[in-house]
Amino acid sequence: MSDTLRIAAAASFGWTVLSLAAQFAQARGGGRSDLGARAGSPWRGLIYNFSTAMTPAHKESVRLHPVEFGIGLLLHLGVFFAVARAAALIAAPAVPTGPAALGVLPGLSLLAGLTLFVRRLAAADLRAMSSPDDYLSLLLTCALLAGAQAFQTGLLSAAGFLAVAAVFFLYLPLGKLRHALFFFVARADYGRRLGYRGVYPAPREGGR
Amino acid sequence: MAAAALAPAEVTRVARDALRRSVRGLGAYHLNACVGCGLCGESCHVYLTDPVPENLPGVKAARVISHFRRYHTLAGRLAPLLVGARAMTPDALDDLVESVYGRCTACGRCGLNCSVGVDVGAVIRTGRNVLAAVGKVPANLQAVVDNQTGTGNQMAITSEELKDTAAWIAEDLQLEMGRDDVRIPVDEEGARVFYLVNPREVKFFPLSLSAAAGVFHVAGESWTMSSRFYDVTNYGLFSGDDRAAAEITRQAVDEARRLGCEEIVLSECGHGFRSFRWEGPNWLGKRYDLPMRSVLELLDEYIADGRITVDPAKNAERVTLHDPCNLVRWGGVSEPQRRVLKRVATDFVEMTPRRAQNFCCGGGGGMLSMSEYGERRVASGRIKADQIAATGAKIVATPCHNCADQLLELNKHYKLGVEIQAVVELVYNALVLD
Repeated sequence: MSDTLRIAAAASFGWTVLSLAAQFAQARGGGRSDLGARAGSPWRGLIYNFSTAMTPAHKESVRLHPVEFGIGLLLHLGVFFAVARAAALIAAPAVPTGPAALGVLPGLSLLAGLTLFVRRLAAADLRAMSSPDDYLSLLLTCALLAGAQAFQTGLLSAAGFLAVAAVFFLYLPLGKLRHALFFFVARADYGRRLGYRGVYPAPREGGR
Repeated sequence: MAAAALAPAEVTRVARDALRRSVRGLGAYHLNACVGCGLCGESCHVYLTDPVPENLPGVKAARVISHFRRYHTLAGRLAPLLVGARAMTPDALDDLVESVYGRCTACGRCGLNCSVGVDVGAVIRTGRNVLAAVGKVPANLQAVVDNQTGTGNQMAITSEELKDTAAWIAEDLQLEMGRDDVRIPVDEEGARVFYLVNPREVKFFPLSLSAAAGVFHVAGESWTMSSRFYDVTNYGLFSGDDRAAAEITRQAVDEARRLGCEEIVLSECGHGFRSFRWEGPNWLGKRYDLPMRSVLELLDEYIADGRITVDPAKNAERVTLHDPCNLVRWGGVSEPQRRVLKRVATDFVEMTPRRAQNFCCGGGGGMLSMSEYGERRVASGRIKADQIAATGAKIVATPCHNCADQLLELNKHYKLGVEIQAVVELVYNALVLD
């Protein structure tokens, strides 16, 4: 694998990190806290929003859509694997690829991604809120997963996988893939605010 | 008052300024985080009762987010078509009105259940912030805001009318309680509690003001209303006009201070509680120097401290409780009313779902004042009507006068055969008098 490609992939990854950091700083700029007298704990609210509030018992969208939730979860597990694999290749290209069986995860995730792509095309509700970016982001994600799967099973060279990853990282901060960062900060912000107001953690009985 | 007649060329500039201010207040996290998964539909009473794409919370939020992307993201500036970014032209903003006022009560239930954690209600309010700045708030909703900023209360009730009403309610109460020292104090300096009420209590529902006065009397409370600023509501929250909302807040808080009161107590009003208790200090940009709480918390304290004695047998019919979104989901007050109802009624049953997960009645977000959406409002209330019917209750305790208005209409429309009462009315009814 040429160093040039590795550097290009590293630069692309760096662009993603720096760009997301800049977007976070911009999003945060001037953001204010509640000034009303505190009724609860922001930290407890934050922790609750990343734990109990995400369980099917407490989150209706998960409880009512277990299949979609499962598919989404599978997609993201594969993405985490593919990103980690690409980062490892950039940082230490000599590290062994590992067993081909590891390619099962990105392979299944690829199927999940394609399923979500078809779902977005087929459902009127989803089409109504979709822009070209929604489709492109999903296709790029599928490409990354396909690259990871093919690389892991020896069907694609490291250079090929890094080229795909470089394109993925180049686009990540521009479209909906930004949720890689904003999922965490939005959920943290919401949980913190609900904690401050005493809404979270929900009372033990939980309203169910 | 919102800008009513901006030149078309000015609209985009003013809208952009308003968007920038709103984003600064909210933090743009939520406008960046939606992935358009579409799993939010079942969390929305409007979508559940009319499942068209336009009613999906994600679609409503996407309308606001499209404008954010156009001005606050790189891709939105360089390739707007790619990321669905849309400029805030007068036509585009006209389209937004229907989404953020007509199809959403900003109840926040979808946000709580969002797969990502997007505060959809806050995103919708960002849209309302923008529309308020360019004078596109639906006329009837804007009229209420104008009443509040112009006269001090949403129904433009004069000070004389307030004093007269307080006097005759007090006279009736004296007869009813058999005590000639029962009063509804107005403009009394040095009272401990400054009590804010919904003007509907003065104009249409005197029973809840009367009940509160009776309970305060028995508890030996030192309290007063103001004849000038007694309105607990704040339609600036609904319209999205933060400047008006701040002014409405300031009027009441300053009045409490002028009268030398020690505490501000908010009568049963969901959005009034959220506005005064939580958003008010943010709108004013400073913390209050007076404590503030809901009358529900005070009633809970009276019972716990033995300042009033209650007999639940006096409320023998089955009672259920409606959780107003702004009081519970946005405000965090869910338990005092439950403790109170368990003490004042023999057969208290819960709705499902409830507390922060409760469904909006359909009348929130200023919907009651926007007659153009009346049909949708009543249709979207079917979810709440079904919840009520499933409890088998005869009385629906409703700590919010906006919700009460909507529930009264739902009661008729869906033939529920229930009575709608404020919590304080049930407390008053259960009072054991010496």
